[in-house]
Amino acid sequence: MIVDITSRPDNQSKPRGSDYQHIRNLDALIDQLSNCITLSEDDIERLCDQAREVVQDESNVQPVSSPVTVCGDIHGQYHDLIELFRISGPCPDTNYLFMGDYVDRGYHSVESVSLLVALKVRYPKRITILRGNHESRQITQVYGFYDECLRKYGNARVWTLFTDLFDYLPLTALIDNRIFCLHGGLSPSIDTLDHVRKVDRVHEPPHEGPMCDLLWSDPDDRYGWGISPRGAGYTFGKDISDAFNHNNGLSLIARAHQMVMDGYLWSHDRNVVTVFSAPNYCYRCGNLAAILEVDEKLNYQFIQFDPSPRTGEPTMHRRTPDYFL
Amino acid sequence: MSELQKSFAKSRLAKLPLQPPTGPSMQPLDEEVSHDDDSSSTSSTGTIVPSPSRQLFARPGRGSVQQTTLPWTDYFTQELYLTQIDTPNNTKITHHVYLTPPADSSSPLFVMHHGAGSSGLSFAACAGEIRKIIPKAGILSIDARDHGSTAVTHASDEDGGEGIELDLSLETLNRDLVFVVRETQSRMGWESLPDLVLVGHSLGGAVITDVARQGELGSKVLAYAVLDVVEGSAMDALQSMETYLMTRPSRFPSITSGIEWHTRSRTIRNKTSARVSVPSLLYEDPNSPDPTKPWIWRTNLSATKPFWENWFVGLSRKFLDARGGKLLLLAGTDRLDKELMIGQMQGKYQLQVLPEAGHFIQEDQPAKTAQILVDFYKRNDRSALVLPPKVADLQASAAMKKGAGIGAGAGAGASAGGLFKKI
Repeated sequence: MIVDITSRPDNQSKPRGSDYQHIRNLDALIDQLSNCITLSEDDIERLCDQAREVVQDESNVQPVSSPVTVCGDIHGQYHDLIELFRISGPCPDTNYLFMGDYVDRGYHSVESVSLLVALKVRYPKRITILRGNHESRQITQVYGFYDECLRKYGNARVWTLFTDLFDYLPLTALIDNRIFCLHGGLSPSIDTLDHVRKVDRVHEPPHEGPMCDLLWSDPDDRYGWGISPRGAGYTFGKDISDAFNHNNGLSLIARAHQMVMDGYLWSHDRNVVTVFSAPNYCYRCGNLAAILEVDEKLNYQFIQFDPSPRTGEPTMHRRTPDYFL
Repeated sequence: MSELQKSFAKSRLAKLPLQPPTGPSMQPLDEEVSHDDDSSSTSSTGTIVPSPSRQLFARPGRGSVQQTTLPWTDYFTQELYLTQIDTPNNTKITHHVYLTPPADSSSPLFVMHHGAGSSGLSFAACAGEIRKIIPKAGILSIDARDHGSTAVTHASDEDGGEGIELDLSLETLNRDLVFVVRETQSRMGWESLPDLVLVGHSLGGAVITDVARQGELGSKVLAYAVLDVVEGSAMDALQSMETYLMTRPSRFPSITSGIEWHTRSRTIRNKTSARVSVPSLLYEDPNSPDPTKPWIWRTNLSATKPFWENWFVGLSRKFLDARGGKLLLLAGTDRLDKELMIGQMQGKYQLQVLPEAGHFIQEDQPAKTAQILVDFYKRNDRSALVLPPKVADLQASAAMKKGAGIGAGAGAGASAGGLFKKI
């Protein structure tokens, strides 16, 4: 199955010389990834180098212009990612903002993150990719991405290249100064967007502190700050999101990180919305996925979608323990 | 009378504790001793230390020296025997527990429940590590009924357990745990219970989850931790469990050979842990059909089969529904069932996976398990939530520190340190 997830610039706008070659190479890689064919190690290395050049200059609060489609967790569910592009339109015809968690748990973390990174390099102004809590060396060693890299490449180099790149990904984005987008949630250490801008982000996410909270926190029904049952980050109540949105002139916080059965879920009287874009998460949770389309007037609509039909995918392998008493 | 009942009647005769080895305790010689790979571990027992004894005994016949038993007294300050009469059934149960009481009323008590076929000493090494991090913490590690040195007998007949029907239902184990905690409180003269963290491994995880869900220990339960058991995968493994039990040896020539089997088969991947826990799993049968192998399992796991489903059905739901902080610590890989997967992705509990550990996580990785449990306790400690400093304050103080550092050297550095403390 060939899916054209990108629309090509027409012939007149073709750049010349080495730029032209560069773009042709990138388009070839994107073609390859559109068919779920893994890239070579050398291609990944070049891609990660180029991506780092692009994202390292982005702000911790990367400005994004509407219209844009905002997406939540992907988790290696490549076929559903392709479905997502089919639904909301190819990149760069549609602008995209992904809020992290591209890898782990699904079968195709490598292809999914390769595709998103390739699109980022090819269309840096059209797609924004933020960091999620799974874009981390520690987490990926437990939840699948590391093992998948070993399985597909026979060594850990590709994992190292990607996780080194993850250190440079921006933590949050801001659509037209009104919609604040990030993976997890707010931090008791952070009152303003300026505080976010000042966080030193280029390293493995720590176990605590503002950077950790942005990737790990969740909204909660209880007011104020609470201990997060996850063991990292905090829970924050409506009073906190009220104050944050008011003080920063925001109309909405869009975030991902939590699986929600309908693919999206409002909280805090519509101060906060959760968007989750991995349908039937982990091939067994039975949830819908959703994306959030924001138009030029900042009107938004949610589009829900089911898992993409596919064949030939292995059933989720679960090692049965031989001893459990 | 079942084989199990016979073995328990006998096991009372072969009561623990076993004598520790005489003379200075030997250091393990094997270089590959994996006393937890946590480099911050300061345990001496697993560390290779050149010593006179090591030189003298270096590689005599391979095997025996490194398999010597370690006494429970290295890990707990006391043991208690708590007697409970079950009048309707006319039985008496003598609960045996290992205890290090908390040093004061504000320190927590970790309550440990082992898995089926194991014993309270499964948590010995981990208990030691917890107290290295919080020296004032208490640890209560129980021997469940028909395990370790806890035995059920006729109320009237001190020595006999003959004819008593084996009851290892979840409800019974739940009641036992609550009794033991309350009885320990009264025996120790504690006015109220300390803050509790319930920790259960495998079957023990099902028991502590049931206790947390029922709420019998009240609000003193801050949090509970389940070690390496997931309802979905446990139910999937019911069939293979019997095969597994048939393939393991039923008797051993000696305790040391029992320890060796556990480490060689990688059932327990840490020699120090095996040396303290395995002795409590075996007893010497004077009427052994094979006199060269008199040591047999204290708990006949096959006889517990009628209870297996009862232990695990509904575990995931209860784990998510009970009040208090929740930690699921898994060995190897994350094997969540659907309910736990959804719960995890909704942020309902803390999941931690130790890829390098086997099923007996707390024995394979005692220092890491202890660190995780301590961090878990600290997060769930009721004393009011202390919020971290603001980014703005941190920056201001960093700027002041920098400025002071440039301006005035050592003296200014000290005052900047003071400023940080205030924040």
